[in-house]
Amino acid sequence: MNRGSPRDTGLLVRRGLVALTAIGIAAAAFELYGERHWNGPEQLVPWAALAVLAVATVLVLLPGGAARTTGRVLALLVLAASVYGVADHILVNYDSGALDQRFADSWDTLPMPTRWWYAASKQVGPAPTLAPGVLGQTAALLLLATIGGPLRPTVR
Amino acid sequence: MTTIASRLPLLCGATALAVVLAGCGGTTSARAAPSASTAASTSADDSTIDDSDEAADDTAAAGAKVSANTASEDEISDALEQAGVNNPERWAEEVVEYRPYPATDPNLTKLRDNLAKYNPGQTTVDKIVSALTP
Repeated sequence: MNRGSPRDTGLLVRRGLVALTAIGIAAAAFELYGERHWNGPEQLVPWAALAVLAVATVLVLLPGGAARTTGRVLALLVLAASVYGVADHILVNYDSGALDQRFADSWDTLPMPTRWWYAASKQVGPAPTLAPGVLGQTAALLLLATIGGPLRPTVR
Repeated sequence: MTTIASRLPLLCGATALAVVLAGCGGTTSARAAPSASTAASTSADDSTIDDSDEAADDTAAAGAKVSANTASEDEISDALEQAGVNNPERWAEEVVEYRPYPATDPNLTKLRDNLAKYNPGQTTVDKIVSALTP
């Protein structure tokens, strides 16, 4: 049985990570569409992040270190957007506590940690708290794919 | 090679953070739909929690309807307040956020579906809708 060199295997794995990144972008876009995630400017942030990640994916596939570096920076920006998304979803849930009939009269009297826990664990509010983390996961895949040199071997 | 080695900690750190967040995100995302439907069903089940006397006020407020599609947030807030809705400013935000509403649906089904995510109770939703027209 003919085994590929470790270098070839690494290249295959990294290309696979890029493919997973592309699938992740498409899946996240489909999910956002399903949620009708465009009510107001803030809900457009993940759409922008997906567009940035798509550009980053193309950049890491291009030959040249500059393009790859730019792709990495863009992927890191998407990671930051992902963290922002998680925080924003928790805040939305927190602000929704008083609207929930179970807490309409008592929300403001609950201890602060309890309120934040209810918001973070989505016991109040409509926002899936950690769903924006999918963006971060996809960006992380792309970052991993850039470790170890260019994805297209130089032709001699 | 030295460059790669020097960048590895940064990449690994960012990756670890993202994987943790995303791993949880997938689970939470999967829970989102049932959670929303649970909220909706809970709101229906617990509708008796709201004071039935307040529901009677709906009739009194019925004459002061404003358009959910075109009225300003302040106007909607005033109308909701007159209808006896608690937190009228906050609910007015939600009404504006989920625009537009079909003109052919006087029952504002789209608004009802979106408000149910907040588990406000059937009576509160009825009060809100009673103050609005498409």
